[in-house]
Amino acid sequence: MEKIINSTNLKALFHKSGDIVQRQLNVAHSGLIIHIFGVDGLMNTMMLDETILQPLTENEELKNIKTEKEVMNYLLEGGAYHAFAIEVTDFDLLIRYILSGMAALVFDQEQKALIFDVRTFDKRSISEPSDEGVMKGAKDSFIEVMRTNTVLIRRRIRSEYLVVEQLNAGKLSKTDIALVYLSNIADMDTVNRIRDSINNLDIDNISTPAFIEEYLTDNKKSIFPQIMYTQRPDRVSANLTDGRVAVVVDGIPFVYILPCQLPMLMQSPEDYANHYIIGSSLRVIRYIAMILTIFLPAFYIAATTFQNQMLPPEIALSIQQAKQDVPFSSASEVLGLLIAFEILIEAGLRLPKTVGTAMSILGGLVVGQSAVEAKIVSPTVVVIVALAGIAGFILPSQDLSSGIRVTRFVMAILAAVAGFFGMTAGLIILITHLCSLDNYGVAYMSPFVDVETSNHKDTLFRFPIKYFTKRSKKIVPENRVKQK
Amino acid sequence: MKKTLFLISNLLIIAFLLCGCTNDMSRKEIDEVNLIRVLAIDYDQNEYVLTSLFSPSGGADPESGEASEETTKGFGKTPYEAYEDLKAKAKKAVSLGHTGYFLIGDTAAENGIDICFDFISRDETVKMDALFYITKDSNAYDFIEKGIENKQKIHEDLEAIKQKQEEFVTRNDNTLVNLLNEMKQTYSSVLIPYLIPDESSFLTPGYAVFDQMKLRDYLDEETSAGVNFIKNIIRNYPIYLEDQVGLLVSHSNTKLDSKLDNENIVITIKVDYETMIKEVNTPDSIFTGDRIQELTKKQNQFLYEVINLAVNYSKATGLDIFQIARMVEKQNMKEWRNLESNWVEIISDIEYQYKFNSRITKSFILG
Repeated sequence: MEKIINSTNLKALFHKSGDIVQRQLNVAHSGLIIHIFGVDGLMNTMMLDETILQPLTENEELKNIKTEKEVMNYLLEGGAYHAFAIEVTDFDLLIRYILSGMAALVFDQEQKALIFDVRTFDKRSISEPSDEGVMKGAKDSFIEVMRTNTVLIRRRIRSEYLVVEQLNAGKLSKTDIALVYLSNIADMDTVNRIRDSINNLDIDNISTPAFIEEYLTDNKKSIFPQIMYTQRPDRVSANLTDGRVAVVVDGIPFVYILPCQLPMLMQSPEDYANHYIIGSSLRVIRYIAMILTIFLPAFYIAATTFQNQMLPPEIALSIQQAKQDVPFSSASEVLGLLIAFEILIEAGLRLPKTVGTAMSILGGLVVGQSAVEAKIVSPTVVVIVALAGIAGFILPSQDLSSGIRVTRFVMAILAAVAGFFGMTAGLIILITHLCSLDNYGVAYMSPFVDVETSNHKDTLFRFPIKYFTKRSKKIVPENRVKQK
Repeated sequence: MKKTLFLISNLLIIAFLLCGCTNDMSRKEIDEVNLIRVLAIDYDQNEYVLTSLFSPSGGADPESGEASEETTKGFGKTPYEAYEDLKAKAKKAVSLGHTGYFLIGDTAAENGIDICFDFISRDETVKMDALFYITKDSNAYDFIEKGIENKQKIHEDLEAIKQKQEEFVTRNDNTLVNLLNEMKQTYSSVLIPYLIPDESSFLTPGYAVFDQMKLRDYLDEETSAGVNFIKNIIRNYPIYLEDQVGLLVSHSNTKLDSKLDNENIVITIKVDYETMIKEVNTPDSIFTGDRIQELTKKQNQFLYEVINLAVNYSKATGLDIFQIARMVEKQNMKEWRNLESNWVEIISDIEYQYKFNSRITKSFILG
């Protein structure tokens, strides 16, 4: 089929689609026929009637009109009571507009179409963020509609430098993607690289976050998240002013931030809502929790199986007594319980909320206690695994938490094989791996590995805001001054 | 390929760097090990006897509700041989990794503590802060066995001894690491606290003195206190003055200074300390300038006598119980070469000078 804009071609294209609305319109009963195309359910028909169809049919001046060109001019020059009206000559673009919910008036003779944004669809209202709630701070969160999300960002940064670049990805889904950055701060090399990555996406459909995350990530084999996502518009705006780039994808209720470093994933909006000493304390606890969740099960295995002298005598004796009559080795106990813990988490996610609570009680309390009483596992192991599990959930980033859960297993296995030797080897490999990661030219472990000391003011400790005078040199090569 | 090579070389480097960690790679579940809490080393009937005391891993006795302590003995011509015998006789594998206390019997100490220490210091699992005690005039296993007969919790009693020590001194010098260090100083004597039984517990009145690693003598409580003052490890020390006033040394700082004067060594002992008034059983007010000054002189005299006891002991026996050799060596490197060979004779001729600087600082409201 030749890609010429006319009603015949469009009808041929959509003749099997029941949800595509096609209608002929006799302009002011003048005998001049134009065609209207749109997707049923995505258009606000009342708006279409009032702002476009009514002027076209009821305006007496149009009775004498002879050509389609005149109708187009009339509509573009204010005849249609609609702010968004554009002329389209490209067939593919027209299809994209129609399928995104806009109304198209097709002029066969001119081989052109006029597009009116009369989109409407059911959408979730802006609600509190489910994963990143704070006591003090904004309560709005992103939803599945890209435009709403960019509006939420724009409301917070009313700068002429805020750029919202409209992109499109997915060969079939044609998903709208917005690339958001501050043009006077962001590193344009990074912006270009991200834009290229999105434009080069060669997939049919962006149906789940992983489709875009994996393509925007430099080191795809790493289990550690190299792209940060957030539900919070305030967090996005803070990162934009730091020189980072946001990617808003239609259909995904959160916004990606790039480039991403590990310390970013350890930060929570609450850190900045509280006094800096309280914020820093919370952050230190988070880092301690991260170390605990990775190493506690492995330490237990190594200490109880290989080098028990690493334990204080009283604890060693207590563990000894707790392990009496338990038929399994420490490693089997810990690994078994870790797997059971993961099963419980998965079950909790899949089950309906009402059943989920009962499942937690049954799985966590009843089965756990029964297993201890039946001497299948020792109570110490239950404590160790529970502590490691809970510590993992303290981390603000779910992706990081998931990566660390896998690391926890690897460490536990290494400890089971070679005790503290295995653990230490695992730790060295882990640090080497983390230090080798690079994200859009910025080290993943930055600013921990940076020589520039000014970057360290918002890492392990959160310094008072007055000390945040400069943006990171790694992220923003120029315009680094935040405040004097 | 490059990445694989990099990974392999990395793993090899890690393996080489951590090779020390592989010494104890034998997999042994913690419940399959008997954790020795106290180890007694004795020399009896021409052989070494090692007695291990461990808390049973099974926990408390369900009937009595008490966790009894169990012992196992090993015999051998050397302590290590005895330890191997002990390991063979024990129901489970044994570990020195949790041994907090080593008791060395009187006879074993007379035989030489270096023999007792050798196999312990070579065990990679042993705690470097494990404490050593000598059992005065008795075998160490007698201490343990009598303690068990008296339903004593030996380990807890030793823990109490340690805490009591820490009340009076700023550090316990009878740790493994410290004793090994002291044993290297061949010109000086090693001091290890000794234990005596007391009804249902133990007491540690003072130090056992070693000469060339062999037990030579036991110091009484006051002489041992004098040693502690000179070693500058006093935390608290009570002073009882004749005029019904009790004081407590709350802070003390001792500095030793050596001076060589025509091959004569002069050691100046400077003691700077503070005391608190703890008891006043006299109707006369002591809180006048003159009385305080008088009390200060008296407490200085009291401490002089205590320290002098230790000094006189050292001079009389020719034993360097204050580690003077190390200090003289450090402060007079050149001269030490000449003194080194005759140190045993020189030690008795050392002249000691004393300087006391004390304050009675806290009188409290009651006055």
